[in-house]
Amino acid sequence: MPKIEVNEQFFFQLAGASWSDIEKFEHDLTVAKAELDEWNTSLPADDQRTIKIELNDTNRPDLWTTAGLARQLRIYRTRIIPSYPFFASRTKSKETRYRVVVEKSVKQVRPWLAGFVARGSAISDALLRDMIQTQEKLAWNFGRKRKGVSIGIYRTSLIEWPVRYFGTDPDTTSFVPLQETRAMTLNQILAEHPKGIEYASILKGEPIHPLLTDSKGRVLSYPPIINSADLGAVQVGDNEVFIEVTGSDYPSVALSASIMACDLADLGFEIVNVRVDYEYDTPFGNSVVFPYYFQEEISASLEDTNKLLGSALEMPEALDALTRMGLCAYSTDGRAISVAPPEYRNDFLHPADIMEDVMIGAGLANFAPQRPADFTIGRLTPIERFSRKAKSIMVGLGYQEMIYNYLGSGKDYAEKMRVPASDLVKISNPMTENYEFVRNSPLPGLMQTEGVSAKASYPHRTFEVGKVALKDSQANYGIVTRQYLGFLTSHAQADYNEIASHVATLMYLLGREYRVRESSDGRFIPGRQVEILVKDARVGVFGELRPEVLEAFGVAMPCAAGELDLESLLDD
Amino acid sequence: MIDQSAARALHPLEVKILLAYRTGDTFDSTQVREKLGFREGQEQQAFSWLSSKGLLEEVSRQTEVFYELTALGQEWLEKGTPVRRIFSLVKETGALSLPDIANALAFDQKTVGSAFGSLSKEGVCVMDETRRVILAKPELPQPLVELESLLALAGASGGSLPEASLSPPQRALMGQIAKKRGAQDAPFRVAERAKVVYRMLPLADDYRDAVRALGMTGEELGAITPEMLEKGSWKLGSFRPYNVQVPPARVIPGRRNPYVEFLDSVKDKLVSLGFEEFEGNMVETEFWNSDALFMPQFHSARDIHDVYYIEEPTHAKFIEEPYLSRVAAAHENGGNTGSRGWQYHFDRDFTRRLILRSQGTVLSARQLPKAKVPGKYFGIVRCFRYDRVDATHLSDFYQTEGIVLGKDVNLRTLLGFLEMFAIEVAGAKEVKYVPGYFPFTEPSIEVHIKHPVLGWFELGGSGIFRPEVTRSLGIDVPVLAWGIGIDRMALMALGLNDLRELFSPDLESVRTRRSQYKIQ
Repeated sequence: MPKIEVNEQFFFQLAGASWSDIEKFEHDLTVAKAELDEWNTSLPADDQRTIKIELNDTNRPDLWTTAGLARQLRIYRTRIIPSYPFFASRTKSKETRYRVVVEKSVKQVRPWLAGFVARGSAISDALLRDMIQTQEKLAWNFGRKRKGVSIGIYRTSLIEWPVRYFGTDPDTTSFVPLQETRAMTLNQILAEHPKGIEYASILKGEPIHPLLTDSKGRVLSYPPIINSADLGAVQVGDNEVFIEVTGSDYPSVALSASIMACDLADLGFEIVNVRVDYEYDTPFGNSVVFPYYFQEEISASLEDTNKLLGSALEMPEALDALTRMGLCAYSTDGRAISVAPPEYRNDFLHPADIMEDVMIGAGLANFAPQRPADFTIGRLTPIERFSRKAKSIMVGLGYQEMIYNYLGSGKDYAEKMRVPASDLVKISNPMTENYEFVRNSPLPGLMQTEGVSAKASYPHRTFEVGKVALKDSQANYGIVTRQYLGFLTSHAQADYNEIASHVATLMYLLGREYRVRESSDGRFIPGRQVEILVKDARVGVFGELRPEVLEAFGVAMPCAAGELDLESLLDD
Repeated sequence: MIDQSAARALHPLEVKILLAYRTGDTFDSTQVREKLGFREGQEQQAFSWLSSKGLLEEVSRQTEVFYELTALGQEWLEKGTPVRRIFSLVKETGALSLPDIANALAFDQKTVGSAFGSLSKEGVCVMDETRRVILAKPELPQPLVELESLLALAGASGGSLPEASLSPPQRALMGQIAKKRGAQDAPFRVAERAKVVYRMLPLADDYRDAVRALGMTGEELGAITPEMLEKGSWKLGSFRPYNVQVPPARVIPGRRNPYVEFLDSVKDKLVSLGFEEFEGNMVETEFWNSDALFMPQFHSARDIHDVYYIEEPTHAKFIEEPYLSRVAAAHENGGNTGSRGWQYHFDRDFTRRLILRSQGTVLSARQLPKAKVPGKYFGIVRCFRYDRVDATHLSDFYQTEGIVLGKDVNLRTLLGFLEMFAIEVAGAKEVKYVPGYFPFTEPSIEVHIKHPVLGWFELGGSGIFRPEVTRSLGIDVPVLAWGIGIDRMALMALGLNDLRELFSPDLESVRTRRSQYKIQ
């Protein structure tokens, strides 16, 4: 979930209001599904004080910026929807002198580009930092770590138009990237430059890499990796910048440009269009003027909305709620609500998405909780009921119930237990080797207890009922989950006879006939271990644990133990 | 005065001594035993209890030597010494060989050998020409007879002879036959005992008065025995009161794990609210874990569910139809769900990728195709997250999730359920709802509660499943989906502040852990 840091003064100014009460501020943030993370109001209220806010809606990147979040709060309060007349659309074209040519050569690697120019007063330090934050949040969270979206900002005055976006050979093309003083080839940048190393995977294996130059061939940037040191650095005091967005997902690229344009427009900048001429077809045409309004109208029926929300809203109330959310909503027949999504939003996939905005706009507090009326019968799963029965018998036999994690190390689950690691389900991307395997038995957990509990008074009698993962090539997943009972007794006289008596009592009280057969499980002493057979099927094992196992867990007390597949004992 | 409970707590042995002596009287073990008929050792116990209460003081202490009968000595006393028995046998039957004697008296070689040695040394017996033993004197000599009298004396005085009670010749003889260590071959063992003289102190008067006032005699009955009940002897006395303030000995019972019990109580609560439990595989596919929940395969929404991938096998063999096709269509263009979809190419290979289930909602999705309408389902299931393990994060942990299906369920019934959970499960006094975001619900609601101890916190997330989720899985009615976080309540109920403690392997801490939760 993205988290942003906003300058308090700047934010309040944009929101057209200020807050001093934290609870009120937190409440007002909920319309944007935002949560206050940190706001140190005890610091002096100068222009440096900041607020940290977490944004929960991953489908609304427009809220991940200072201006965007402020806009939502402002509209909710004022019901005044801002207009952004600089947008082009399918039906509305715009003239502009700024042009980018997207060449065929880039289509395979990173096909989409959008951009615009923002012109206004000198960029302040606070604004510059805010723009960089927006750029990062959009590229990292919305743009999936720059794969889907990455953003470059440049000083317009240095650029000779038109700009070229094309594919090039990474071994022969070179320029001086930011944070460097020497020219490097693209492949060198990927191998040596910190940003190159960080994002190299996006271009891995691509024979042709994307490059953005001006008409004189001077490099603007190497998307999505790094800007050039010459044309790609923006400073405090600049008053005209070119912002471009490239990526692999066209709507996301276009939306990111729209979000930044709306934000800068809210800040008083003049937005100047950029025409992007593609050498190939795009869903928005060959020649697209950005910022471009590509969203489509969507509608929901008022009746469905009221049914979903359990409400009885009249059309004007529903429309008012949507207005507060910043949506231009109308109805021609009094039954269907039509919505033209705002320029900066593209999260209306289904009528349900409108209904949620009705809910937020109308205020969640206005929907009274209602007790459910449907009658249903509750029950536990058969295995849970059966397990509870087994647990109460184990408790009666003097055993302490334990509960363990299901992930562990190969050392504990395989090596120490003398079980082949290949029997275990292994994680291919473990965070550490301590949590690399899923257990196939409760016994390693019970042995861990013995390893750390030598000081606890003996006898130790422990059990656990829990899940294990077993490989099973017949199963669709090749792995099945079973509910096991594991039990262990440890004291100076712990032996086969004791555990055998306990198994006999358990099975008698569970009402399951069983017999035993000598087994050769590596965890137990040969000749002092058996398999438990029910109707000739193996359902468990018990015996005296081998001294090698005890030693591996640092245990100097005899242990007898067993495990039972409770699911296999369930009635069919 | 001392209070009566202190007197009541006196042991009968103490009571008897208190009543038998007055303040200033002095006495030792032997005197007390003789006077009060105590068994050996009982008086020592009583002395130590009385001393610790400040009723007795030690006046003097000197070491005394005692000669105690050993098991062998006891046997000699009962059956006669080997010397006496050989002498009598030969006197009766005439000449006998040593083996014949051993056979007749059931002696081993060594005993016969050493007894004959003593007899022949004193000139009582000799060997004839056929190596048979014959008597040379008509009587046993004095030293051997003296031994018999010592045995008899010891036997008469309870098996123990004070050295001081012996004549000098007896002492000399005893010096030869008694042993300090390794005495099993000798008839007497040398024992040293301290003779301690005690004096009764003035405080004893208070106790004695209290004892008299209570009518205690020291003859009260101790433990009830089966014999007492059988014979009815309990009717003859009264029962000695015990000191009920003595801390009882620790018992280690078999018991349930308090965390599991807590989880069970939540399950029981949900069952009581009409929910049916579901379960499932720990290993799941991307399909059920995320795709079926309409989380686009490319989207940053999947950032919040970083998952563990299975090394082998990597993919499920198949995904059940028609769900695969319907879900794929919902993602690509909305299919028949009324949505425009995510507008991308759904990867049917990736969707079979095996992972460890990262959210309990996967089971809600799996339940939909087989769910009844109306229906309520829940599960408390182990989930796995790619997280660094610390006090607030675990790599595997429980999630509590559920769904409600019904023709007429809606946002307000969802709020009704959340309110019910807040009150019934979490014991909340105040509840508030805020808009939330989950990729699979629209609208989405977070529920915050004011807990009596924890204050305001987020109890859980919920919403109404997106039609892209429900329609693809064959459900045409609204489905409320909810998840509640019970870990914080579990920690509080168990008095812990580290999630790792919930799964502690430490036996002592689990044995002694108590839960304070109360389910309404």
